[in-house]
Amino acid sequence: MPWDRVWEHFTLVMTALGFIIVIGVVLGVVSYLYPKLSKPILTIVDVMQTIPSLATLGIIMVFMGGNRRTVIIGIILYSLLPIVRNTNSGLNGVSPAVKEAARGMGMTRLYQLFHVDLPLAFPLIFTGIRIAAVTSISVAVFGTFVGGGGLGTVIYQGIRVSSMRQILFGTAALMAMALLIDGIMGLIEKRLYRRIGLQMPQE
Amino acid sequence: MIEYRDVVKSYGGKPVVKGINLTIQEGEFVILIGPSGCGKTTTLKMLNRLIPMDSGDILINGKSIKEQEPELLRRNIGYVIQQIGLFPNMTVEQNITVVPRMLKWDKERRRERAKELLALVDMDYDTYAHKYPNELSGGQQQRIGVLRALAAEPPIVLMDEPFGALDPITRDSLQDEIKDLQKRLNKTVIFVTHDMNEAIKLADRIVFMCDGKILQAASPEEMLRSPADDIIREFMGKHVQRVHMEDELTCSDIMRHRVATISPQRRTLECVELMSQREVNSLIVVDDDRTYLGIVAIEDIKDRGVAGETICPLIRTDVPCVETGQHAKEAFRLLMDMKADYVVVVTPDKKLAGIVTKSSMSKAMASALWGEG
Repeated sequence: MPWDRVWEHFTLVMTALGFIIVIGVVLGVVSYLYPKLSKPILTIVDVMQTIPSLATLGIIMVFMGGNRRTVIIGIILYSLLPIVRNTNSGLNGVSPAVKEAARGMGMTRLYQLFHVDLPLAFPLIFTGIRIAAVTSISVAVFGTFVGGGGLGTVIYQGIRVSSMRQILFGTAALMAMALLIDGIMGLIEKRLYRRIGLQMPQE
Repeated sequence: MIEYRDVVKSYGGKPVVKGINLTIQEGEFVILIGPSGCGKTTTLKMLNRLIPMDSGDILINGKSIKEQEPELLRRNIGYVIQQIGLFPNMTVEQNITVVPRMLKWDKERRRERAKELLALVDMDYDTYAHKYPNELSGGQQQRIGVLRALAAEPPIVLMDEPFGALDPITRDSLQDEIKDLQKRLNKTVIFVTHDMNEAIKLADRIVFMCDGKILQAASPEEMLRSPADDIIREFMGKHVQRVHMEDELTCSDIMRHRVATISPQRRTLECVELMSQREVNSLIVVDDDRTYLGIVAIEDIKDRGVAGETICPLIRTDVPCVETGQHAKEAFRLLMDMKADYVVVVTPDKKLAGIVTKSSMSKAMASALWGEG
């Protein structure tokens, strides 16, 4: 059994996710602090997700060659949207009364961002991260076509040699990984919302 | 001392504050009141620069607020808003000490301060300090909102309709608490409300604003006694009348205007007939120009009346009588002491104006107490 492929897939996704979180939250914060930039940022991120992920990977491969790095960049571009959007709406969704109080207490813009806005937006941001994680797992499957390895390779090989076992193993591993990550993050998410007394948004 | 000097603010060309001049002494509790859109909240928020002014200046102890960094200025001015706005991600203690934390007080001092403040509103530190705002009732939340404003011991506290969203009972007790705290800690408080009850209860001075201008700034008593404008009178509604009742309600305010009268030339039978029609046992006698002559009572007609004669000889003049401008208390006293059915009210030139009966009196008092009846 190609367990190393499972691990490979997992690290691929987690590495990409690390970048996505940083880039996504930063873009979300920028779009919140400078409302004029909010529309262009969200539009670009939105458009990137409409390009088929395989095409995205292909285009990147032309510039970067076929390797792990290409897959990671592909995943990042493809999965940014939920985090950027949720960061933006989470920050904008902080109650105006709380924001006015923060300003009235004499908080600077950045102090307010780190001590009030971001903590309050965090549950929603986390929801974005969770969606991005699950998306990344399936996008990474295409990594095999640009030399990124992962579970895509297992499934693709299975298809080529007509090995049902391999195909099923790959698929099951993907599903298990997605369900596990989604489940764990879902639990954390629930606690986050409860802590600040917010309602979970309906998905 | 806070001085507003010709402060002007407009939104999109529409002026909302049109040249305010106001001086507030240290330790004064000033209430800004007025109809919605009068500019009271804008006037308040310009003081801590949440709203920038267009022209004019505001000085705190002689120093223009424009010369200070807005954030540093705000840390020295307490601020309480109607929607409370506690930080849901912070505990009660963290909420209270948010300004001290920005001012870099050390942890020990912040904790001491939180304990001290919670004690001010009779909330137990161990019970409440580590709760989150959503675990508190509305009244408790606003108490914390007030404590948060007081935490760094600012000499000035701004309050923007702080109790507007609370139920009447909670509001009442918080009003008592805030008045008590203000006196005890000698804070200068500027408080916006549209509730005249609240203003009268709390203010050292009420500043009545309308259409971006100050119409009157006076103590509650003075404003009640002599409102400078009809809008103020209207706003104070029942309170104005209550003061009238205390020292300005006159006999003409409490009398009945429609009175059964008769001319002295009438004859006795006509008089009896009129009494039975009106279901009264006495009539007021007036001559042709309504000059008051006295009354004629049914007993007198029965005892001494002669059929066919005029009632002239039967007129009694020993009925209690007051003038229109006299204090209502006088009519009340006569009515009670002399056990009379009514007191006659005459104008200064002795014309009949009306009568005060027990029922007209209680009606007038009821409307003075509870508004238009």
